[in-house]
Amino acid sequence: MATPEVREVSSDGPRQSPPGTALGEQAAPQPKRFSRDSIAAGAKAVAGIIGLFVVWQLLVTIIAPPEYLFVGPVAAFAELIDRPEYFASNTFVTLQEALAGFALGTALGVLCGAALHYSQTVRSFLYPALIAIDTIPKVALAPLFIVWFGFGFESKAFVAMAIAFFPLVINTYDGLSSVPHELQELARINKASPWKKMTKIDFIYAIPSIFSGAKISISLAVGGAVVGEFIAGSKGLGYVILLANSQVDLPSMFAAFMVLAAIALALFFIVDFAGRKLVPWKNHAK
Amino acid sequence: MNNEYAISVNNVGKTYRSRDGQENTVLKGLDFHVKPGQFVSIVGQSGSGKTTLLKTISGLQEPTEGEILVKGRPIRDGIEDIAMVFQGPVLLPWRNNIDNVLLPLEFRGTRTDESRRYAQELLEMVGLGSKAKHYSYELSGGMQQRVAICRALVSHPELLLMDEPFGALDAMTRDSMNFEIQRIWQTTGCSVLFVTHSISEAVWLGDRVVVVGDRPGRIVADIAIDFPRPRGKEHRFSAAFSDYTTEIESHIGVVTGIS
Repeated sequence: MATPEVREVSSDGPRQSPPGTALGEQAAPQPKRFSRDSIAAGAKAVAGIIGLFVVWQLLVTIIAPPEYLFVGPVAAFAELIDRPEYFASNTFVTLQEALAGFALGTALGVLCGAALHYSQTVRSFLYPALIAIDTIPKVALAPLFIVWFGFGFESKAFVAMAIAFFPLVINTYDGLSSVPHELQELARINKASPWKKMTKIDFIYAIPSIFSGAKISISLAVGGAVVGEFIAGSKGLGYVILLANSQVDLPSMFAAFMVLAAIALALFFIVDFAGRKLVPWKNHAK
Repeated sequence: MNNEYAISVNNVGKTYRSRDGQENTVLKGLDFHVKPGQFVSIVGQSGSGKTTLLKTISGLQEPTEGEILVKGRPIRDGIEDIAMVFQGPVLLPWRNNIDNVLLPLEFRGTRTDESRRYAQELLEMVGLGSKAKHYSYELSGGMQQRVAICRALVSHPELLLMDEPFGALDAMTRDSMNFEIQRIWQTTGCSVLFVTHSISEAVWLGDRVVVVGDRPGRIVADIAIDFPRPRGKEHRFSAAFSDYTTEIESHIGVVTGIS
C-alpha cells in the first residue's frame, strides 16, 4: 500500500484485470511491442550507421591518406577482430568505471536536487555555489581526483561521477518543482506527511525529468572515465587510445573510438528503455 | 461561537505584503455563514479573490484579519472533513481511476479494506463504475472531473469546496455536470461552496448566491434562491430565474462601474 504503483502499461498484450473486479470493462488497446513504425525507424537508424561507414571507407579508399594520419572502418574492424581480448578487457574496465561513476553521480545528483527543492535554506546557500562549481570544467578536476583517489579504478569513477552529477541535480530539481500546485494543495488538505507526498506524488512526477538527466549523464560518464584514463591509467579504452597514440597505431585508435561510440549508444538506449518502462503514462500525455 | 453553522466566516480579510512594502488587500470584511447541508454559490469577476477565499477556508492560507470557524472550531486546529475540487481534474497519470479516488485516504493513512468498495460505489454514482480500472488518458474531460469529484468525496467530507470545477468543460458537458453535482450533493448531504464565473450555473445550483465584488474582494450581495429541489431544466427557463440572473448581473455590474 505504501509503495507507489507504477504500472507497466507497455508490456505486451492487454492489461489483465485482477480477479474479483469483473466489471465487464475493456482494457484499452495496447500498442504491440514492435510496431511496423518502430521496425521502420530501427531499420533507418541502422541504415544511417552503415551508410556512415560506407562513406567513411569510400573517402579513405579514394583519398588514400597515409595510415599514420587516417584509417577507414575496415582497418579499424580488422584491428578489433585481430585483438578481441585486448579490446574486450579494456572496454570492460572503462564500462565499469563509467557505470560506477554514473550510479554514484545519479544517486548524489537526485539527493542534491531533492535537497534543493525541499529546503529553502539549502537552496539559498547551495544553489549559487553549485552553479559556480558547475562552471569549472570537470575535466580540469581529473588531476585532483588522481591525487585524492590514486591511480586505480576509483579516480576514474570519480571523474565520471563529477561529470554525471550535474544534469541529475538540475533535472531532479526541475522535475520536483513541476508538480502541479493543485496536487500540493490536495496533499496539504489531506494532511499528507512529507514522506507520503514525496513517494506518492513528487518523485513519481519527477521520474520523466530525472530520466532526461540520466540520458545526458550516461554518455558524459563514459567520457569522464576516458579522461581519467588519459591522465593516469594503465588500462581502459582511454589508455588504449594513448598507447595507440604513442605508437602511431591509428587502426587501434579508431577501433577504440568505435567501441566508445558503441557503448555510449548502448548505455543511452538502456537508460532510455528503462525510462519508458518506468514511465508508461508519458506515452499518453496530451 | 456555536456549532450551528458548517462554516462561519467572521470579518475575514487577507492582505499580501510585497517586498517593497506595498500592501495588496485581496479580501476585506468578509462575513457570511453557511448552514450544514447548504449549497452556496460564489460569483464575482476574475481577480475578485474568490479563489483566495476558498483557499483560506480550506486552511491552505491564513487570513490576515478575522477568523474562520468550521463547525465552531478554528480551522488551524486541523479539520478532517474538508475536501476540494479544482478547476482541472489533476489526476495522477500512473494510477487508474479507483486508485486516484483512494489517494486522499492514503494521504490520511485511513485507507481500509472497506475503502475500495466505497470508492467503487462513488464511481458508480457518477456513472463511471465500469471505468474503475481505466486510466485518466482514456477518459473525456468531463469524466476526469467526475473522478476528481469522487476523489474529493471519498473522505466523507462535510464541506466540499469547488473552485470553478466545470470552468474548463464545454457547455454541454457543463450542463450535465450541473445535474450531476446536484444529485451528488443531495445524496451525500454535505455543505458545498461553489465558486463559478457562470451566473446561471450559480443560480441554478445554489441555495444562495454570494456575489463578491473586486478590489478588494468583499460581499456585495447575498441572494437566496427560492426554487424547489431537485431542480430541473424548467427552472432555467423560468421568469424567476432570469430575474435572479439580472439582479446578480446588476450587482457585479455596479461594482465594476459598467451598470
